[in-house]
Formats: sequence, C-alpha cells, structure tokens
Amino acid sequence: MSAFASSFFPFKLREVRRLLSGTRIQSGFFGLWTAVVFAFLYIPILLLVIFSFNASKLNIRWEGFTMQWYSALLSNKPIVAAFQNSLVVACVTTVLATALGTIGAWMLYRYRFPFQRAIGLLIFVPMVMPEVLMGVSLLVLFVQLLNIPLGFTTLIISHTTFCFPFVLVGVQARLQGIDPFLEEAAMDLGATPVQAFWKVIVPYLMPAIISGALMSFTLSLDEYIVSAFLTGAQTQTLPLKVFGMAKVGLNPQLNALSALFILGTIVIVLLSQLISSKKTT
Amino acid sequence: MAGLAAAAPVAADSRGFRRKPGLAAWLVLAPLLAWLVLFIVVPTIMLVVVSFAERDALGRVVYQFSFDNYVRAFNWVWLKVLWDSIWYAFLTTVICMLVGYPVAFFIGRAPERWRGILLMLVMVPFWTSFLIRTYAWITILSKEGLVNSLLMSSGLISAPITLLYTPFAIVLGLVYNFLPFMILPIYTSVEKLDGAMIEAAYDLGARPMRAFAQVIIPLTSPGITAGALLVFIPSICMFAITTLMGGGANPTIGEVIFKQFTSGRNQPFGAALGTLLLVLFVVALWFTRNSREEE
Amino acid sequence: MKNHITLMAALAALALAGCGKPPAATSSSGPKVESKPAAAAEPKAPGSDKLNVFCWSEYIPQSVIDQFTKETGIKVSVENYASNEEMLAKLMAGGGSYDIIQPSEYVVGALVKEGLLHPLDPAKVPNLKNIAPQFLNLPFDPGNKFSVPFMAGTVGIVVNTDLVKDDIKGFTDVFQDKYKQNIVVLDDAREIVTWGFFTEGVPINQVTDENLAKVKPLVSKWLPLVKVYDSDSPKTALLNGDVAIGVVWGGEGAILLNEDKKFKWVLPSEGTHLFIDSLAIPKASQNVANAEAFMNFILRPDVSKQISDAFPYLNPNLAARELLTAEQRANKASFPPDEDIKKMQMFEDIGQQASKIDEMVTSLKVQ
Repeated sequence: MSAFASSFFPFKLREVRRLLSGTRIQSGFFGLWTAVVFAFLYIPILLLVIFSFNASKLNIRWEGFTMQWYSALLSNKPIVAAFQNSLVVACVTTVLATALGTIGAWMLYRYRFPFQRAIGLLIFVPMVMPEVLMGVSLLVLFVQLLNIPLGFTTLIISHTTFCFPFVLVGVQARLQGIDPFLEEAAMDLGATPVQAFWKVIVPYLMPAIISGALMSFTLSLDEYIVSAFLTGAQTQTLPLKVFGMAKVGLNPQLNALSALFILGTIVIVLLSQLISSKKTT
Repeated sequence: MAGLAAAAPVAADSRGFRRKPGLAAWLVLAPLLAWLVLFIVVPTIMLVVVSFAERDALGRVVYQFSFDNYVRAFNWVWLKVLWDSIWYAFLTTVICMLVGYPVAFFIGRAPERWRGILLMLVMVPFWTSFLIRTYAWITILSKEGLVNSLLMSSGLISAPITLLYTPFAIVLGLVYNFLPFMILPIYTSVEKLDGAMIEAAYDLGARPMRAFAQVIIPLTSPGITAGALLVFIPSICMFAITTLMGGGANPTIGEVIFKQFTSGRNQPFGAALGTLLLVLFVVALWFTRNSREEE
Repeated sequence: MKNHITLMAALAALALAGCGKPPAATSSSGPKVESKPAAAAEPKAPGSDKLNVFCWSEYIPQSVIDQFTKETGIKVSVENYASNEEMLAKLMAGGGSYDIIQPSEYVVGALVKEGLLHPLDPAKVPNLKNIAPQFLNLPFDPGNKFSVPFMAGTVGIVVNTDLVKDDIKGFTDVFQDKYKQNIVVLDDAREIVTWGFFTEGVPINQVTDENLAKVKPLVSKWLPLVKVYDSDSPKTALLNGDVAIGVVWGGEGAILLNEDKKFKWVLPSEGTHLFIDSLAIPKASQNVANAEAFMNFILRPDVSKQISDAFPYLNPNLAARELLTAEQRANKASFPPDEDIKKMQMFEDIGQQASKIDEMVTSLKVQ
C-alpha cells in the first residue's frame, strides 16, 4: 500500500506525515508568534512615524497632519551633524568591536593561553561596569594619563570597549560544538592557519559575526552616558542632543529623523536582497 | 607568520584540540590583550583606588585612604536597591527567553535568503533614539493613551487603568529594549542546527514537544546562555528605562551609582558601590564557568 | 552564506551613506591638540577667532549662536552637559579648553571660592545694566566679579484643575492622602528636602544632620504619596493625565500653562527657592576677550528675547522683558510677581552634605 501510494505521490507522503506529525503545526505556531513579536517591536515605531506628521509640538495629542518637521529637520544643522557624528562613531565602533570580538573569541577558543580564565572574565567587566563609572574613569584616563583630546578617538575607543564583549560572547556561543577538525581539514588541504581562519572558520561564524555587528552598531548608536563624558565639542552625538531636548519637549523633528533612517534602512536591505536574489537565479 | 604558528608544538594537537600558543598566536591576541589592559584593567584599577579615597566640597577626589565608603555601602538601603535591580533583570531575562526563543528559532529555520532580512528587522527598531522609543511607549500606556482609549471605546473598561509607572511598565520597557540581545545569540545557535537531525528527532516518533525539549533546546543551549548573559548583565545597571517607565519610585543600582556622580557628588562612594557590584559578578561568573567546565 | 554577505554589503552601503559626507567637525580634534602648546607659549592670544561654549543642553538656541558668529566672525563650538556635576567633572579633568560655562548659582559660589573662574572686566560687559537689580550682586558672587545672570527660575506647584478642585496653596496641600499616587515631583533629593525645610521653617542652606533628622518624618510621609519622580520632563506625566498635581520647575510650568488652560501655577505658601543660571569664564580659558564679547551679546535685549522665546524661564533681563509679548509676560510660571521673588531663597553649595541628602531620600523611596 505504502509502495503503491508513494509511486503515485512520490513526494507527498512524507509531507503529509510531517504535516500530521506536528512539525508543521509547530512551525506554524512559531511563525505566528514571530509575527506577534514583530508587531510588538514595531508598535512604538509606527506611533513614532505617525507622530512625525503631527502638528502638535509636544508629541502627546494628535492635532493634524503636517510635513513641517521634515522640512525643519533638513535645515536643522546641529541635529543633522549630531546624527552624522553618531553614524561615524557607530560604524567605526562596529568594525573595531567585531574584529576584536571575533578574533578574540577564536584565539581564546583555539589556544590555551596562560590566565585564560582571567581574560575570559575581564571581558565581562565592561558589561557589568555601570556606564557612569566607565565614562568617568575613561575620561580621567584619556585626559590626564594618555593626553588624548576628547573627540572621535575617545568616543570610538570607549564605545568599542563596551561593544566588543557582545560580539565575543555571541561568537563564543557559536564556536561551542564546532567540529574540531574543520580547521585541521583545511590545513591538511594545504591552507595556512590564517587561510583556514578566513576561508573556513569565518564563514562558519558569519551568523554570529553579523549578530555581533548588529548589536554593536545598535549599542553604539544609542549610547548616552559614556558619550556624555567622552565627547568633545565637535563630536556631539545624537543621543546627547536628544537627552537635552526632553527638557523642552522632544522635538518631532527627531521622529522625522528616526522615520527617515528606519525607512531608509529597510529600503536598502530589501533592495540588496532583491539584487542578490536576481543574481542567484 | 603562518609558519610560526605551524611551528607551535605539534604534540599538543594529539592531546586535544586546544594548542599552546606560539609567538604568532600571541601576536594575534595582542591587540585584544592591549585593549583589555588599557581600557578595562587600568580603569578598573582607577575605580578601585577611588573607592578608597575621599572627596572635597566640589566633588573632586582626594586621595586619602579611607574605608568609609565600604562601611557605608553595607546598608540595607543599597542592598534592597541591588536586590530589586537583580530581580527586575532576572524577570527580564526569563521573559526575553520565553518570548525570544520561538522568534530566533523561526528566523534560524527560515529559508536562507530571508534570515538576514528578518534579523535586520529585529534590530532596526532600535536604531531610533532610546528616549523617543520610550516616550512612544509612554504615549501608548498613559491614562489618556492608546491602550486605555481603545479599551474604553470598546467598552471593556469604564475608567482608565493604570499601566504606566508600574512594575509592569518597567518590565515591559526592559523586555522591549533587550529582546534583540536574546534573539540574536539564540539565532546563531539555531542556524547551525542540522536540519536532518531535527527531522530525525521528529521522525523517530518523538512527540513534537518532547523532540523539541530533549533535542533542540539542549543543542541550542550555548545560544541561550549567551543571550541570557547579554540580557541579564546589562539590564541590572540599566536605569534610564526603569526610571522613565516606572516613575522613578523604585531606584535601581545603576541609578544610585549614577547619582553619586551628579546630585550626590560623591564619586568615591559611587566607585565603592561599583567595585562591589563588579566583585559580585566576577565571583558569580567564576563559579558558573568553573562548574560548567568541570561538567 | 551568500545572503549574509549581501547583508554586510548593505550595511556597508548604509555606513557609507552616513560616513561618506563626514561632518565638518571631523577634523576638529586637530586644532584642539594644537591649541594646548600654543596657549602655553602665548596665553590669551589676541585676535583668536574661536570660542568654546560649554552649556546646558537646550538652553542657548542655535539661532543665537549663528547670529553671534555672523556679527563677530568668531567661530563658536558648543558642547552640552546635563548636570552641573557633569560639567564640573569635565572642567576639572581638563578635557576641553572651555571659554564659557553656564553654572548654577551654588556652583558659581563654589567655583569662586576655589579660584577657578576668570575675573570679568565690567567695561567689556556693559549690557549687564539690562539685568534687574534683584539678580545682581548676590551672595554667591558679590559685585558680579565673575559671573553674569543668564536665566533664572523657581520651583512651584502645577495643578490640573480638571482633576483637583481644592484650593492648593502650598506643599502641605499637595502631599495629602487623597492625592496618593497622583503626584509628580522633581527627581532631585536636594529639592525634595528643601520643601521639607520650608514647611518646617528650617533655613534651607543649613543642611545639618539635626535639621535633616527634623524633616525626615515629614518627607517620609510625603514620598509614598508620589507617583512619578522626574527632573527632566515632569510635564509629561501631567500632560498625559497620569497625575493631577506636580511640583516642578518654573520653565516646565510655563510650558504647561501655554499648552492648556486647565493647568494652574501656584507658588508654595511655605516658600520656594530661586535658581540663577549664570555665564562665567573658567580660569583656563584661552579666549577671554571672545568670551566677554559673547556674554555681552547674550545680555543684549534682542538676543535675550530670542532665548526667552525658546525657553520660557524667568528672564532677568529687564530690557529683554519689554520686548516680550504681553502673553509671555503674563505667564505666572515664567514671571512670578516681584514681591514673591524677593521672598525666595537661593541655594548655597552644601558640599559633602549633598551625599547625605541623597542617601536619605533614596532610603525613604525604597522604605
């Protein structure tokens, strides 16, 4: 019977069994759940976008449609400059933190260094340390001991310091259970350790590296306290501006800026996806 | 460089995967070590030194040895504050895990070309300023806010209910902001699961729930652990969200320490509280890592 | 795998979009490095065209800064802070070479005492004459040798008259059981304790252990009634209807009064304090002449008016007040009557006692 059925439906039977066995039900549930969580994540964003068209300055009640915040935003030099500063810091931080975290995780996994465990614990220190302590102690370190003027350098160093542990912990998790002979095999085929790392290990770690980069970028973009202590006059980042604005009421121009940035990002990502899927097909 | 690394003792290879580092390995690790020493060890030492110092009227640190800050730190007030912070962080971690796992799993098992996009979409909401997001939540939860007006107009309630400035709002705010830090690490663990293995688990007749609990969860446990660390540790000291969403009536340890640097104008005391927090965590991590490695 | 690379490319594209046009400021760390040794050799270089302003965020409108640059050719770089202590930390660390700072009155007093301010040349700041006499020659800086008033303000009570029908006169009317969980106050330990001092009739600057013990029972009765502590934007909870009464900054009160007629401003009958944010020049400034020019510019009536338009605090500049609309001047939260201002007291620096106040309020919050 089964042979008969499968000759008629060579591929369906398995599908039907899976459907009944619950995998489908499960993944259906997961899909639904994911949709709900995405709704949760985007509700405030939706509201923020709606309010970027709100005529009221105080952002609390709807008082009619306007585009004025968008046009005001374009001529608001300090906000645009702060946003650019934030992007510069976040981009450089992401690159540095991702490199530091990935290489660090791999080296600590691959080799047995003396003080291995101490190094492993030190990595958590920037995560545990309250931001204000980090800000103040780095301020003293940069200004009085290292003589580095406050600016992009100090911002990027400090942001990298609290971002790279996020990359490292994520990459470490991905490394657990990696096939120990993955690297060996590559080296048996004549690859140097560096080649093996680039050609075999990095691709394997890529999802964790991407995750780490995304987390670093986000953390850096939104950091306030550490930045407050370590910024120079010319490198004010967006969160510093935003915090000051809460006093007089958050300016809807900020909503406009966020809306533009988010929509821009989503468009770029979808476009790149479109291009890449065209290439592959 | 590669040659040097290859020159590392070959004997170590046969004993296990982890090798003794050669000169090249040390050189590769050097940037990380330098970074750790300069920007983590040195500031931490400075912190500890300051915690034993005093301060003058303007809040400047006076380097005069004193143990007072630690004496003062062991006071029920700060212990209660610390306990509350840990409790909120714990709740946040558990909820993020329950809410985030299915999402991470779905993304990790989605068709490959969708994974990157879905991952991005998890993170993108957080590329807005935190204050703007939080004020959006305030608009949603306040007495004249979205939720209350929806409930009122649908006739479910007759008077607005208090959602904002409650422990519920605190946890909601924390979960909202930390959820991606749970989803991403779990995703990286799910993504590497072998599809065939999952199929096998189901096909062996295991009920889906059991297959999930006995096969998939253990296989993704490194991601869960990483996610828990990335959510739990930072949320202990997070106070901006807690203050805005909770109304500031329940101070957290991060806020208390922050205030020592502003209105309290007592850096050394703030440093002492910070040092204690650090010690607490290093000890806790040391023991959890120890027990894990012994397993 | 491939899609991860695409994603990375997308991110890189995004990064380029952001970084491609680096803000003009990118090269700024350059001149700053140079300015240090240069200044050591030749302090207070005449003819310098730079000015580093270190001020509260959202206190000096960008239009004012731009106008100053346009009129004088002096390039202004502005750095912001969110608390006096943050400013002190950076000033003490020597992080930037600031030419103008904007400390509150008690901090001016402390900075003068420590000799950290540069004395002013009255001839360079003639516009000081525009300031109302009651804001000049105050105990924290007798004779205004080191500072000029920028903006002032006070703390008072805002009542949502839709929700509260009683006549609220002072702190004791606010902190009643019937308003439990219906109150917003400033998240500022010294403020809260000071309200207790006013109510108990204790002089607000005598922050001794005995006096703290004296007001502790009162404050411990008050705090459980409070729903929200917020120093940055206490107006939010009032506007959203989450609380009915608030003890807030005058500037916040002014915004609320402008927003909705249902809000009423009350100066507490027990008394309240007056704060004055000033402009001062740090000792280490390298552009003193420019800083003085900036001060004088800020004190010009037309400029000061712009600041009042943006931020409705109590403007001490009499000449500027005349340029304001009748409506602006009628806002009681911005401009309390003169006889009330005369009765207000000012904070003096309480140094290390600040820490005690902080501990007391925190312990009462978590009690």
